[in-house]
Amino acid sequence: MDDEIRAHLDMLAERFVAGGMSPREAFYAARKQFGGLTQMKEDLRDRRALPPADVLARDVRHALRGFRKAKGVAVSAILMLALGIGASTAVFAVLDAVVLRPLPFVQPDRLMSFRSLDRRGGHPTNLSYPNFFDFRSKNRVFDRLVCYRDNRFTLTDTLPAIQVPGEIVSWDLFPLLGVQPALGRGFHPEEEKPGMHVAVLSHTLWQSRFNGDPGILNRRVHINGQLFTIAGVAPEGFQFPQDGPAVQVWTTIAEDNSPTDATPLAVQRGARVTDAIGRLKPGFTPAAAQGQMDQIANSLAKAYPDDDRNVDKTLVIPELERLAGNSRTPLWILLGAVGLVLLIACANVANLLLARGIERGREFALRSALGASRLALTRELLSESLVLGVLGSAGGILLAALILRFALPLAGDDIPIPRLLQAGVDLRVLGFSIALVFATVALFSLAPTAQIARLDLATSLKAGAANIARGHHRVRSLLVVAQVALGLVLLVGAELFIASFAYLVRRDPGFRPERLLTFGVGLSETRYNTAGEIAFSDRLIERLRVLPGVRAAAAGFPLPLEGHQMSVGFDIEERPAAVPDRPASDIAVVTPGFFGAMGIPLLQGRNFTEHDDTGAPKVLIVNEAFAHAFFPGENPIGKRILPGASSGSEEPSLREIVGVVANAKQAPLTATSDPIYYFPFKQLPWDIGTIVLRTAVPPRELESAARAVLTDLDREVPMFRVRTGEERSSASIAAPRFLTVLLGGFAGIGLLLTAVGLYGVLSYTVLRQRREIGVRIALGAARGDVLGVVLRNAMRLIAAGLLLGLGGAIAATRLARGIVLGIRPGNPIFVIVGCAALAVAGLAAAYVPARRALSVDPMQTLRSE
Amino acid sequence: MPKDHSEVLQGTLDLMVLKTLDALGPLHGYGIARRIEQVSEDLLRLNEGTVYASLLRLAQKGWIRSRWGASDNKRKARFYEITRTGQKQLAREAESWERISSVIGRVLRLESQH
Repeated sequence: MDDEIRAHLDMLAERFVAGGMSPREAFYAARKQFGGLTQMKEDLRDRRALPPADVLARDVRHALRGFRKAKGVAVSAILMLALGIGASTAVFAVLDAVVLRPLPFVQPDRLMSFRSLDRRGGHPTNLSYPNFFDFRSKNRVFDRLVCYRDNRFTLTDTLPAIQVPGEIVSWDLFPLLGVQPALGRGFHPEEEKPGMHVAVLSHTLWQSRFNGDPGILNRRVHINGQLFTIAGVAPEGFQFPQDGPAVQVWTTIAEDNSPTDATPLAVQRGARVTDAIGRLKPGFTPAAAQGQMDQIANSLAKAYPDDDRNVDKTLVIPELERLAGNSRTPLWILLGAVGLVLLIACANVANLLLARGIERGREFALRSALGASRLALTRELLSESLVLGVLGSAGGILLAALILRFALPLAGDDIPIPRLLQAGVDLRVLGFSIALVFATVALFSLAPTAQIARLDLATSLKAGAANIARGHHRVRSLLVVAQVALGLVLLVGAELFIASFAYLVRRDPGFRPERLLTFGVGLSETRYNTAGEIAFSDRLIERLRVLPGVRAAAAGFPLPLEGHQMSVGFDIEERPAAVPDRPASDIAVVTPGFFGAMGIPLLQGRNFTEHDDTGAPKVLIVNEAFAHAFFPGENPIGKRILPGASSGSEEPSLREIVGVVANAKQAPLTATSDPIYYFPFKQLPWDIGTIVLRTAVPPRELESAARAVLTDLDREVPMFRVRTGEERSSASIAAPRFLTVLLGGFAGIGLLLTAVGLYGVLSYTVLRQRREIGVRIALGAARGDVLGVVLRNAMRLIAAGLLLGLGGAIAATRLARGIVLGIRPGNPIFVIVGCAALAVAGLAAAYVPARRALSVDPMQTLRSE
Repeated sequence: MPKDHSEVLQGTLDLMVLKTLDALGPLHGYGIARRIEQVSEDLLRLNEGTVYASLLRLAQKGWIRSRWGASDNKRKARFYEITRTGQKQLAREAESWERISSVIGRVLRLESQH
């Protein structure tokens, strides 16, 4: 505008010069004809103030200039916001990745998890193949119904041989998901038939093992000792199922229907081994689908009562819901906790801004008196808040991105939360953060702007800062009280999880995890028949046992802490029952030295020996919980039961219980010890299992020696999942650890921020009461009295906050019931400890201002006003 | 300068500026001032600065738009031009101005017959 007017004046002056004036005369004449220049410019500026972006830019510039003069306020506010928003963003990103984000398949909301319901306890259970085939052919509600089952595959064409996670699926998995293989095709229906060996490779495996060779299609590759035809390569990033280890090989259910097997899994109606996923036909709700599936289940239960009487109901829920499963509640809890942290941070920022408002009270009053509208002042304050908010959130989003990129993979490797590592800052997450920033800005600028509305010119100008401060101070105190209340809720909640986690860490797993090395060995069924497997196991354990540094060697599966892997029903000789009414319990298959090597004490009877083999009488060892559950008050030794488990063509037979061992935890995250009974490997040679070595040296030192032994015996047998006992223990509680560390961290941050808030307010109180304190000291008050003034103040604020937070804290303990293990959340100790921690932190925060009060020089303060 | 100048009536300047831009196409502020001066045959005393206030008002209402360009003597100048809404508005205002001025004319004639 200035340029434009200058140009106008110049042109006008030139015109006058052309008309005969001297340049000087022309200059003045031009100005005269133009009119009041300054007034005009101001007029224009006022009018011009309208394009909102310009106003915003001006206010933002102003705010930045203001903060340059108050760096401390700005930096601490931005840091606090960055912390709060960063943590919230990171947690939301995780929640989004795990719980909210749709599955990466076509029309993901129509994909349903389908399982049977066991009416004993009503828990969902896998399907047997024959049942799955019936459900697949008889239902009218699913466009496709696909079964899938985890397996491991050994690849031996290139050495070293490797073991990879794989999946046995029915033929139409890829059409179901709407996924087109990157190379080749999916499966054909006839490839489900016995004797077919067709596989689809993951993109990763194709790249790493086959160098991305496009000629891989129709190549024949040795998998588990069989020649498989490679039908296709899955697209990059394709993962199914989405939980569990990343599957590298998919093959059809022909794998479970081998013609050489006497009773393949695919024909055992009692073997509940496979999961299922289906695509709902248009127009069907999950509930309607479940109704129809229930009818089929019911007719199956009638037709095959021995196998199906207990599974006459089904469960149809969205696949996403099954996947998020147990992670849902903890993640929402985390989001709640981080929300509390953000609220506490907001209160601190509001407090800082209020304090700044007090300093600027006079400035505002003056500007208001000079004609600045309240709107303009409010706008200025809001833009200051917005500047803080934007800078803070930029820092926060950066922080979140760093956490998700670097910290999460470090922590998250073991954590059994599906899709956890997919968390990152994407557009959805960014949108959340931006919404969060606006909410935050609104929150923390509420109090300061309300203050403007109450700005009373006359008094402010007369009395200066001290007077405005009074109203501010009440608000600031309220903010601190709220912080203490929120802090208490956060702290008590975190305590519950910490206590529960401490219980999980400290409790006896029932075996000794230290100095233990475990690893899997991949024997292919084609090269090792049952006798060969037993012989291999014998040789391997014998060779491992004599390695220097090895105290004991054995094998077994599943190992403790591996969860409920196999449940087998049994009949008690003294109390026979019909098949569906028989009890069931976890089982494990172990070699003779297993209990010694694992450090599971034998309580009664005898251990397995090398003589407990095929020819010898059939025996079992049970754990204490099993003895209590099924032979209460009796001596279980010598009792006989008939388990429904056999190997090969053998019929199940009565087995005598010859020993009782202590309870080793099978499921890592339950409060009780579950019954389990153990078979000697030679009498149930299902699988060679996991090798366990009890060592005299740090277990990892033996890894290469053990590998050498294995390679020496058969270089086509890969060693996989090498873990120490401690790694296993640690991995088994990775999920609660993740939750606890985060909650504990958030509670710590919340406590710190609360203390900072309290410190700020008390410091200000001391500043304000300097005069009063000065007078008191001058009149002979003792140090104790002066300290008392400040501390009383602190205690009042803290006590009010604690009282207010009590309700929330108790609600938090209610909420935690059923999530935390091994503790009683209702125990008042948690609330008491929380209150104590806040009181201590609060008093520590009050200490510095209190010291400052003591150092008040009465002469100086009395003179100063 | 001649004595019988009239003050510009409040609100009429905007109309004059708008009409000028409509008639002559894109012009800078100086050009508009010259044109009004020329058309009024020096009967109007114009504080030329008020032209800019008027231009700003019109721009804010969306009746004109502006862009930077070079004037005849290579000076950098902001050129204003009437928009489509501006043209509609001009038609409306011109019509209402005609009406008012004819009414005022009639009233004044009545006075003089008295």
